[in-house]
Amino acid sequence: MQKIIVSDTPHVRSKLTTKRIMLDVIIAIVPALVAGIVFFGGRAAFNVAIAVVSCCLTEWIWLLIKKVPVKDIFKKFDFTSIVTGLLLALSLPPLDYKYFYIPLLSGIFAVGVVKMLFGGTGKNVVNPAVTGRVFAFISFLGAMTSGWIQPAFGSISGEVVTGATVLTDMLAGVRPTLSNLDLFLGTGVTGCIGETSKVAILIGYIYLVVRRVIKWQWPVIVVGVTGLVGVLLNGCDFTLFLPYILSGGLIYGAVFMATDYVTSPANNLARYIYYVLMGVIIALLRKGTGIETVSFAILLMNLIVPLLSLHVRPRPFGSVPFGVLVKEKFAKLGKKGGKAE
Amino acid sequence: MKITKGKRFSGGTHIPDRKELTADIPIEIMPSPDIVAISLSQHIGKPSVPVVNAGDMVSVGQLIAAEGGFVGANVYSSVSGKVAAIEERYNPNGTKSNYIVIENDKNDWSAQPLPEMEDKTAGSILQRIRLAGIVGMGGAGFPAAVKLMPKQAVDCLIINGAECEPYLTCDYRLMKEKTDEIHTGIMLLAKALKVNKVYIGIERNKPDCIKAFSEYDDITVVDLKKRYPMGSEKHLIYSCTGRKVGLGKLPADAGAVVQNVATAYAVYEAVELNKPLYERVMTVSGKGIIHPKNLLVRNGTPLDMIITYCGGMRDDSAMMIAGGPMMGPTMLSSNLYTTKTTSGLLVTTSDEVDMSGPTPCINCGRCAEACPMRLQPMLIDFYAQANDFEKAAKYGGVKNCINCGTCAYVCPAKRSIVQSIMLSKKKLAEGGK
Ligand code: SF4
Ligand code: SF4
Repeated sequence: MQKIIVSDTPHVRSKLTTKRIMLDVIIAIVPALVAGIVFFGGRAAFNVAIAVVSCCLTEWIWLLIKKVPVKDIFKKFDFTSIVTGLLLALSLPPLDYKYFYIPLLSGIFAVGVVKMLFGGTGKNVVNPAVTGRVFAFISFLGAMTSGWIQPAFGSISGEVVTGATVLTDMLAGVRPTLSNLDLFLGTGVTGCIGETSKVAILIGYIYLVVRRVIKWQWPVIVVGVTGLVGVLLNGCDFTLFLPYILSGGLIYGAVFMATDYVTSPANNLARYIYYVLMGVIIALLRKGTGIETVSFAILLMNLIVPLLSLHVRPRPFGSVPFGVLVKEKFAKLGKKGGKAE
Repeated sequence: MKITKGKRFSGGTHIPDRKELTADIPIEIMPSPDIVAISLSQHIGKPSVPVVNAGDMVSVGQLIAAEGGFVGANVYSSVSGKVAAIEERYNPNGTKSNYIVIENDKNDWSAQPLPEMEDKTAGSILQRIRLAGIVGMGGAGFPAAVKLMPKQAVDCLIINGAECEPYLTCDYRLMKEKTDEIHTGIMLLAKALKVNKVYIGIERNKPDCIKAFSEYDDITVVDLKKRYPMGSEKHLIYSCTGRKVGLGKLPADAGAVVQNVATAYAVYEAVELNKPLYERVMTVSGKGIIHPKNLLVRNGTPLDMIITYCGGMRDDSAMMIAGGPMMGPTMLSSNLYTTKTTSGLLVTTSDEVDMSGPTPCINCGRCAEACPMRLQPMLIDFYAQANDFEKAAKYGGVKNCINCGTCAYVCPAKRSIVQSIMLSKKKLAEGGK
């Protein structure tokens, strides 16, 4: 006879685990990863490998220093560091091999400082991958803004974009020469490893929705609001809507970074407000700075999450209906007014 | 033929019901045990007061303890024999209460338990329900008669046939085998409550019961989606009538009184057969039980005797649960006894129950989405862990929690949210708030 166990209710639990969710996120990233490697070749693969290894090693070494038994480290490994490494690397430009220290250091920063220092999975305030990218951007500005290379597939429309990315051109007032189809497929588009091929990201998005890791509305709100506000800020030219949302890291950030559980509000009401605000901020920052600002915007928004999740909550089942509440308030005001007269 | 579809409430979740273990097994009468220990606290309210002494001879259906106050219930002997002792023993949830221990002489000798009823007016039915010691048999054990005398005017009676806890099939078998009797009991309840609107809510996984009850013209069958916690009073009322019970209010404030099908059956027995409540149907299930069964057991039957009667436990049994797996407490030993509210005894193997232990909350929001009360379970858990129970109440809404466990069920991090909830409630109550 085995030991009889006592535990708290409920004794049956759903099969879903944190690990399984993280595995789903990894699977969802795979198409963007493959697209990045196909487009940008060895450099892309190199960057990704360094970032993932750096993230995982940082977590393990941190735990070793904290004297967590090795057995536990492996048992408790929940794949989040792999996700962080992948997301971080895919949001970097296809950097030259000589810049190997950029993904390495950003990985250490992302996991070591942003996640482990705050207490590990679930305790971080800001998104590790996003912050890692911002860290890289600020620390290695030169390398981060000049490492663009042409993808393996040229544009279908035959145009060649040189130098800066499509988005920076567009924000500077230059109409994009690449077709929307090019922007969607990523052909001929210079940019970060995982951000260029929107179709690959979309496959990941559909997978996440089907697996119920995220709700379909989440990224749609971010992208939609950003696009709308962006168009309004840029002279109400609606032909810019598609190029505006298809260029840069918006879709990538909206699907993979903004949907991160830990750094967004847990209840859906607050979450929707959060995404609308995020969209507005992205568009404003893009306008204000003239460069891609998705990661900065997400980072900023991460900081107000605690506020949102505490103060924007649905009303419990059986609360006085909102309409009645308002009516009662008015009735009271009326009475008070009456007395005063 | 009146069947309506239940109204959908937000939250809740689908849980594999695992009722197939016992759903097709007819109710079997468990032979009376050698000894019974009958609790004096089988209901919510004041403990009952013994009216027999150690050494007395009692008969089946004899009053052995009288209600200890308005919110209280009479207790009857379930066997004939000698009162061996009146002493403290453990309850399944780990607390202690007084028990009347009776040695069974197996004569099953029974004096005429309750007098014949002269008329069946609302008042006399109420009186009989009270006399027979009937309590809510779905779980809480609130004295049925008290519930039938609400302070507010009510206009409908709702019968709970949802049986949303996994594994349990005792209500299902009762509805299937005793349809007419339950119907009679329901109409008696309606008469006592003086209402004409009667609903019976049955989950869709029991289509035969839905059909069976739709044959009666005087009740409306509500075809409920299979969704946990459908059997929660507040959510059942909403599903059947569309009315919401206000926060901190009673069902009667929404004009409804809810009773369970097993209670309706007990009412039938008390009124028509003059039989007080001293036995009930329960489900003995789980993969750890060799022969899962639906049993008619006498009040106070030792659980280990029930397990032995069902062929014993498998060697790899891991957990014993009193009631269903969502809300029932686990038990360390089977040296415990059935009561009026014991709806199930589960012995599960380790692959049936979750024992993986908690990992850090990833703030995914699944708990909040699944909470039928629309609370913020992750905040309750967070603040309870941080010993800040005021905030658990303010931001998490723990005071409105119905302890259903849906949040913990869906949690991918397997947080012990219910434990945090219980702790918060306890601390808040101690704080005098
Ligand atoms: S146990 Fe409480 S907090 Fe959890 S789902 Fe049920 S009502 Fe909501
Ligand atoms: S379901 Fe679990 S992991 Fe998700 S927010 Fe709730 S407590 Fe946290």
